[in-house]
Amino acid sequence: MSLTHMNIMMAFIISLLGLLMYRSHLMSSLLCLEGLMLSLFVLITITTLTAHTTLTNMLPIILLVFAACEAALGLSLLVAVSNTYGTDYVQNLNLLQC
Amino acid sequence: MLIYILFVLSTIFVVGFVGFSSKPSPVYGGIGLIVSGGVGCGIVVSFGGSFLGLMVFLIYLGGMLVVFGYTTAMAMEQYPEVWASNMVVLGSFIVGLIMECMLVLYVLVDGEFGLIVKFNEVGDWVIYDVSSSDIISGETMGVAALYSYGSWLVIITGWSLLIGVVIILEITRGN
Repeated sequence: MSLTHMNIMMAFIISLLGLLMYRSHLMSSLLCLEGLMLSLFVLITITTLTAHTTLTNMLPIILLVFAACEAALGLSLLVAVSNTYGTDYVQNLNLLQC
Repeated sequence: MLIYILFVLSTIFVVGFVGFSSKPSPVYGGIGLIVSGGVGCGIVVSFGGSFLGLMVFLIYLGGMLVVFGYTTAMAMEQYPEVWASNMVVLGSFIVGLIMECMLVLYVLVDGEFGLIVKFNEVGDWVIYDVSSSDIISGETMGVAALYSYGSWLVIITGWSLLIGVVIILEITRGN
């Protein structure tokens, strides 16, 4: 493993921590999810390019397709929340609180 | 110093990630993600993957982040929080920067870093034996194999994108 791999895995962990600890906006968590996908893309790409396994080069593109699907779905949920409450604050999602 | 350009690029990548993961207002988080996306493209291109680096710029930054930018502009607040305007955001940003600085200094002193898996410095420069150098690089051939060996994968992803669009229409219609 090289040091670049270490840095990109560190970026994945930082973005995962940012996703799990939310503040006020739902949009910030979606941005952290996008960061997860970006770090995974770069990690898979540089692993494939150093190991010269040629057919694995299609894997980052497929990952990007499904990340786009999931980002679009998250954004549509945010739009639905924003249409109901006016903002996308996480504290508005309290219908199930005890 | 320029030998370590790949390591410097990946460190800027991590700093951009800390920038949006400390969660300022989403507009500024988008700026951090754009910086990280650009530097990530640089990392991928440094390893020789020119097609996949351009794919980061075109599809990731030019497609997904534009959509994020428009949605952020729609659900924005009147006074967005920059990194210096809230003690929580500034504190977590500084903690992330200090953590990355300590990691980089530890690695530069020793030359390697290993707990369970060893990360060493010479791994950037290992030369793998490439048997042939063609006109079209192996990476482009691998991506082009998406349409020959991976045709079923293309059908599945196309179908899931179509279903995703239908689902999004239904969600945003509400009720």
